[in-house]
Amino acid sequence: MIVLRQAFKLFGDRLALAPTDLQVRGGEAVALVGPNGAGKSTALRILAGIIRPSGGAATIDGRDVVADGVGARRGLGYLSQRLGVPATTVVSDLAALVAAVRGLPVATARAALAEPGLESRADATLAELSGGQRQRVMLALATLGRVDALLLDEPSISLDAEGADEVREAIRAARQRGAAVLFASHHLHDVALLADRIVVLVDGRVVAEGSLAELAAAAGVPWSAELVDPPIERIYRVLVGRSRDTTVEPLRLVRGDAA
Amino acid sequence: MTAALLRFELAAARSGRTAPLFAVGFALASLGVTFVGLSAGGVVAVQGFARTSVSLLQLVVWVVPLLALLAGATAGAECHEMEFVVALPIARARLLVARWAALLVALGAALLVGLGAAGIVIGSLAGAADGVRYLALVGVATLLLAACLAVGLALGVYARSRTRAMAFAVVAWFVLVVGVDLVAIALLAILPAGQASWGLSLLLLADPVDAARVLGLGLFRADAIAGPTGAALRQVLGGWGAWLLVAGLAGWTALPLALAGRRLTRRDL
Repeated sequence: MIVLRQAFKLFGDRLALAPTDLQVRGGEAVALVGPNGAGKSTALRILAGIIRPSGGAATIDGRDVVADGVGARRGLGYLSQRLGVPATTVVSDLAALVAAVRGLPVATARAALAEPGLESRADATLAELSGGQRQRVMLALATLGRVDALLLDEPSISLDAEGADEVREAIRAARQRGAAVLFASHHLHDVALLADRIVVLVDGRVVAEGSLAELAAAAGVPWSAELVDPPIERIYRVLVGRSRDTTVEPLRLVRGDAA
Repeated sequence: MTAALLRFELAAARSGRTAPLFAVGFALASLGVTFVGLSAGGVVAVQGFARTSVSLLQLVVWVVPLLALLAGATAGAECHEMEFVVALPIARARLLVARWAALLVALGAALLVGLGAAGIVIGSLAGAADGVRYLALVGVATLLLAACLAVGLALGVYARSRTRAMAFAVVAWFVLVVGVDLVAIALLAILPAGQASWGLSLLLLADPVDAARVLGLGLFRADAIAGPTGAALRQVLGGWGAWLLVAGLAGWTALPLALAGRRLTRRDL
């Protein structure tokens, strides 16, 4: 389970993430959406142990990411928006490291690279791959082996249609395996397809949280589960726009609020 | 897991161009020094391990710190780009130590190539007298490499960006190679003889480059050119001076690594 408990982050005197509560249970996928600078990556980076929360707590499977960082990250898969390793790193060397850390034979990592058709590039450096290939390699390694909590920061970025399909499949597969999945995305169509719950962040604050139906109700946008193409973009614009027009307390929804 | 991390870092260090270039460059420079460095009256001649080693030592104390500080600083700054690895269940301090160890192995091997080539030439042309001391000189160079890599890594971790890290490394090199000697000369001029000896001995411990230089000169009993700090150390500490310098170099390795590990662990990436 992924938990943020009143976790917040200050960069100097700028509040990047206001005190935030969030829970993602095993087998659940939650999406973080919001404009650039809303605090999505900050929340994910706190949970991945990349940055420390200025206050509050963050835990992965009950382990505090600051006090027991190594323990918390034992079952964690994290895909950063940045490359996250020097570009001169050889793909097979990175794969061997991830396999060893997760207690898997190196052959498993090679097989994971073969799935997106990248086994022939195993001896290339990351700098020698295209942006899409790099993203697919990093996704394959982030989801390698037993992952109980998966954090993905803009996983579909720089991917073609086929690559985006792989991301969707990876999220679905992780959720089916019982992993808690938290991902940030600007691709609202993917969010509508994949997320059990959606958290809308604006200027570091959670302004809305709930299922698509609940958010539609909160935004006053007509919604029906039968809709082939849910109006998530409209819902998102209404909620973000409303939060910027007002200075009210963050809107919080619980399941069942939607009519 | 430690072995896997070390393998990963070794692969990274091996795939870079720094170590092979250093190996070739240092070997050429060492051979050049070996052949002509101490030739009397401009005549090219190999002069045996003792005198040639003193010349090689000068090359070591100038080149090794510069390269190690730059390589360490780059590797230290690079730690801030390693989000993916840091999000694995690996302690950041362990990542840092693995980086240091991998660089030590890669650059240490390059150092061995350079000094080894020179050693083979000297041994074959001038005989093996003082050969064991020459091996000890390789050990001193390795200690200096280890210490300067650790200092460089710490500078890189604190600097965060590569450009700033490199600038810090160059300043540190200048301070360690030249600056401390200038302070020593100033101390000699200002302090009375007795106090100056203690002051200079402490100054020696405060500078890994000077410590390695005095240690290396001591190996070949080149007392006359050990400089004011070396003379002071012998006066104050007698035979224990060498061991104190070895301990000092070990401290110069452990302390920066500990500080950098602490900093990296506690700060945001």
